[in-house]
Amino acid sequence: MSEVLEPTKNEEALIAVMDQNPVQPMPTESPMHHLKLGARSQGSNVPTVYAGELGLKGHLVIRGDADNSDFRKGVEVALGLGLTDTLQSAESDSLSISWLAPDEWLVICPLDEAFAVETALRNSLKGHYSVVNVSGGQTVVRLTGANAVNVLKKSSPYDFHETHFPVGKVVTTLFGKTQAVIRRKDKETWDLVIRRSFADYAWRWLEDAASEYGFQVADNLA
Amino acid sequence: MATQKNRLKSGGRIDRNKPLTFFYNGQPYQGFQGDTLASALIANGVDVIGRSFKYGRPRGIMSAGADEPNAIMQLGATEATQIPNVRATQQELYQGLHCRSTSGWPSVDFDAMGLIGQFFGRMLPPGFYYKTFMFPESFWELYEKFIRKAAGFGRSPRENDPDIYDHMNQHTEVLVVGAGPAGLSAALSAARAGARVILADENAEFGGSLLSSRELIDGDPAHLWVKKAVEELAQNDNVLLLPRSTVNGYHDHNFVTIHERLADHISDKAPEGKARQRMHRVRAKWVVLATGAHERPLVFANNDIPGCMLASAVSTYIRQYGVIPGNNLVLMTSNDYAYRTAFDWQDTGRKVIAIVDSRQNPTGQYVEEAKNRGIKVMTGSAVIQAEGGKRVNGAMIAPISADGDRVTGDGTVLSCDTIASSGGWSPVVHLSCHTGSRPVWRGDIHGFVPGETVQQQLIAGAVSGSYSLSECLKEGLDIGLLAATNAGHATDSLNVTVPKVEELVEGERMAMFYVPHSKPTSRAPKQFVDYQNDVTAAGIELATREGFESIEHVKRYTAMGFGTDQGKMGNINGMAITAKSLNKTIPETGTTVFRPNYTPVTFGAIAGRHCRDLFDPKRYTAMHEWHVENGAKFEDVGQWKRPWYYPKPGETMQDALNRECRATRESVGILDASTLGKIDIQGKDAREFISRVYTNAWAKLAVGKCRYGLMCGEDGMVFDDGVTSCLGENHFLMTTTSGGAARVLEWLELYHQTEWPELEVYMTSVTDHWATMSIAGPNSRKLLAELTDDIDLDKDNFKFMDWRQGTVAGVPARVFRISFTGELSFEINVPAHYGMHVWKKLFEHGAKYNLTPYGTETMHVLRAEKGFIIAGQDTDGSVHPYDLGMSWCVSENKPFSFIGKRGMKREDCVKENRKQLVGLKPKDPSKVIPEGSQAVDNPNQPIPMTMLGHVTSSYYSACLGHGIAMGMIRNGHNRMGDTVYYPQADGSVIEAEICSPIFLDPKGERQNV
Repeated sequence: MSEVLEPTKNEEALIAVMDQNPVQPMPTESPMHHLKLGARSQGSNVPTVYAGELGLKGHLVIRGDADNSDFRKGVEVALGLGLTDTLQSAESDSLSISWLAPDEWLVICPLDEAFAVETALRNSLKGHYSVVNVSGGQTVVRLTGANAVNVLKKSSPYDFHETHFPVGKVVTTLFGKTQAVIRRKDKETWDLVIRRSFADYAWRWLEDAASEYGFQVADNLA
Repeated sequence: MATQKNRLKSGGRIDRNKPLTFFYNGQPYQGFQGDTLASALIANGVDVIGRSFKYGRPRGIMSAGADEPNAIMQLGATEATQIPNVRATQQELYQGLHCRSTSGWPSVDFDAMGLIGQFFGRMLPPGFYYKTFMFPESFWELYEKFIRKAAGFGRSPRENDPDIYDHMNQHTEVLVVGAGPAGLSAALSAARAGARVILADENAEFGGSLLSSRELIDGDPAHLWVKKAVEELAQNDNVLLLPRSTVNGYHDHNFVTIHERLADHISDKAPEGKARQRMHRVRAKWVVLATGAHERPLVFANNDIPGCMLASAVSTYIRQYGVIPGNNLVLMTSNDYAYRTAFDWQDTGRKVIAIVDSRQNPTGQYVEEAKNRGIKVMTGSAVIQAEGGKRVNGAMIAPISADGDRVTGDGTVLSCDTIASSGGWSPVVHLSCHTGSRPVWRGDIHGFVPGETVQQQLIAGAVSGSYSLSECLKEGLDIGLLAATNAGHATDSLNVTVPKVEELVEGERMAMFYVPHSKPTSRAPKQFVDYQNDVTAAGIELATREGFESIEHVKRYTAMGFGTDQGKMGNINGMAITAKSLNKTIPETGTTVFRPNYTPVTFGAIAGRHCRDLFDPKRYTAMHEWHVENGAKFEDVGQWKRPWYYPKPGETMQDALNRECRATRESVGILDASTLGKIDIQGKDAREFISRVYTNAWAKLAVGKCRYGLMCGEDGMVFDDGVTSCLGENHFLMTTTSGGAARVLEWLELYHQTEWPELEVYMTSVTDHWATMSIAGPNSRKLLAELTDDIDLDKDNFKFMDWRQGTVAGVPARVFRISFTGELSFEINVPAHYGMHVWKKLFEHGAKYNLTPYGTETMHVLRAEKGFIIAGQDTDGSVHPYDLGMSWCVSENKPFSFIGKRGMKREDCVKENRKQLVGLKPKDPSKVIPEGSQAVDNPNQPIPMTMLGHVTSSYYSACLGHGIAMGMIRNGHNRMGDTVYYPQADGSVIEAEICSPIFLDPKGERQNV
């Protein structure tokens, strides 16, 4: 551990950019794969809560200075969506962008487009920023239905009332004893970004919280 | 089955078409839908529902609400559904309810304790806790068994509760506590102003006192106004109505806990899939307390004989539940309002013997009405003593002085079976007190009201001392509007009309708490203040005589207010008696403090769904299912479930470890290392940043290379370690311990954001993104070669501590040639959704190399053979790099300082004779020194021995054929070859030689092949 080597001065090697898509399709498992959601039993009640996993998406974390106009423009050029303000999100047909922190955003896109989006960002951004592919590390649960908000109220101390949490708002908050990035997609639909290793717990918590309202797994929520 | 002999033919809010059977102490009884357990017991003429704590005296139902001290029941038809501490006055009746009385042994009707009550009472004078229980300490165990058996108030179930409980977070602009006239009005006006409102009430039905009121509102019976109000609120989307919901705790920042009983009124067990109770965790902008008032009984001799009740409770039973607790009533009062109890009683057709009024010359519309009704009113008098055994059979009445201090004439006994009393009302200030606010005495109402508060709190109705219905309605509307205004709603244009109330005008009340007796307090029959703890007026006087002047001391001396009822009924009377005995005023004497919870709460409601499988998250890697299918035993590492070892059928743990270790050293083993923390670091100052947070040098680490790093706190003590790789000139991947990942990322962000914001660097966690599998052993290269064709694995082109990017099993991967085993080793990282695929491919190709999965335990053994530390096991926050013998990992010459540099140079850190990490070789090769064992130089030294340090890691090494250990030894680095001794708890002593911690391959040749 004491070897001494001269650092390489190769300008190309500043950042190790990596296309993480296999050349040939390879078997994948989403974070909730093992739960076999499609086969899970459904309660006898008429469902008023539906949820399903939107797994295997491309997830990119962008960090940069929100006050830097070049950075703002660069992101907008690359994504067709601009950086969102505090606790706000935006979406287009193929991707969404969510504010995570004052210098941090999450872009979600189709998994096989993640490298193209990252490349577009790197091509249009200069200076100090970072883009990190975290696609393998998280998943999205879409939660919908008349009682979806009650499931959230059981799970998180945040205020989900529409006066306080309108469509398009996004927060990172507690979900049971783990955390989720929760985005209100429309009046009754919420997207929860959950970390892979917590996905099993988060799903079981959600299913438990939803069961009293009549719960159904839905695989066609995309 | 007993008949409902006290059930009225009509009236009340019960449904006589829905009879319900319930069981009390095993006997069947009948009640109706809408009854409480208490009203149903009264309907059936059950007088004795318990025995008193100390004296074993028979006790009956006193009240109709949360203030009930006596009717504390054990509920539950089965062992698993047992619930203690249920107030019969608040428990709704349901079909098949099973309950038992909780005090009285062997039974409430034959109480062995009662027979020896005289003796027992002397054994337990006030202050007994302190005088006897506390000294000598050893006696407590003796007393406790006896006292626990004799006392009671229930027990917890011995089986798992089959019900579920949950929590719900709520946010509101206005939380109104209590749905009586003031609370309903406040909710109405706040909701009309557009505020988000929660209205919570402990009872099944909203309305509070209005459900048993005689008054008319806008010309209609009050309950019709309630109905309209509730309908209006129910239709408003911004209003959440919570009946059966006790606001039990008022915490800082207007955080309020409410316990809603969702199914306690339905059956012994909640319907399948439904929660039995729910705790609402409410964050309210404004809290309106409309908690009302509790009536105070008057304290007179034998005032605990069943049949003695609160006046308002008698009215509630008659008007709300259609039951009457007796035939012949004597009412004693110090105020007008209680007169209505006599009217309610008379209206049922049963006999009012007399109203005994402590005031010399009461005037007012109530008194007039009583006279008009032909009821005998005895003024300037009091019931000084109740007569009877298991039921009142008479009331001794005597004239008293105008100040209520003395009996002025002979007593006469009137025959009766019920004595209702009212000494006035005490505002329910409990919630207000929870937040630290001290209540203040108001002489005009003879009661404490909420004092100054730092909370966003308002009060309305009886809790503020406004007792008349018209005042309550008006105040409620005004305060509701104020709360909405305070919460930011425009209320100017709202037109609020106060409903018209027809009510009788009350005359002046008399301050009356304690009724004098013809004998001195200490000689008179017992005059109970706190029923649940058997605290008497004489006991309080004794306390003050013995020098306890602070009300808090009197409380602890007498145990007044210590019960599950928190002295709701007796506290104010007790304070008044204390004040009088000390010759002080009540405000001078002050009050004790109320704390959450207002009523007892089940543990289930506190735990919510955070129990069993959902108690704590279990974190899984992408390959977890494979581990399960292949028989892994798991170990908890933080919240991660990591494979511990993979026993084959018939193998002991040690067998499995020996096999896993040998397979790795002889061929190839594989470890799921996905749990290692991984942080992606980008930016032109990334290298500089890393140099500052690690102790060692990073300036010259080339792209494509990896290096081990030590991380210290400011104090110079090691707190994490790991390998960091240079991915690009401005790009690094840091790994951390599995348990330390979140803490390290926070640490890096903290330093970046607060100390070095000028450094251009961003950190992002990629722990979950990469599935990491480490293959180790002489055949690992051959195995990897079968799965990659674009990474040159030649030992000179892909050296130890290099990393390469390429394809493994068809998946883009980063492969790191690093080793935690000392073997030739490759750590393969692929995006986690391909983790299982690559893992399985490795096994497809690995069979011919006997590829063996190993868990954390084998990992520990293999690394200990090489002397590699585990931060958090071999370090404990008091160990710096030099203590570990890792001076090679500290670079003193970095241009900028690094975290911990100064700390590890403190006087204590550089002194001689510090504990240092060394290897330990047991002299007996079969011995494994237990971890934590303390080393001594002389095993024959008398205790306390001089201890040199403890064993931090210890294993049996199958590859070496003997036990190995690492541990701290004072000055250990200079004591190589010395013998130390490890005395064990069983008296044996393990002898060990101090040695280098590197037991295997000290030159590191195996990993460099």
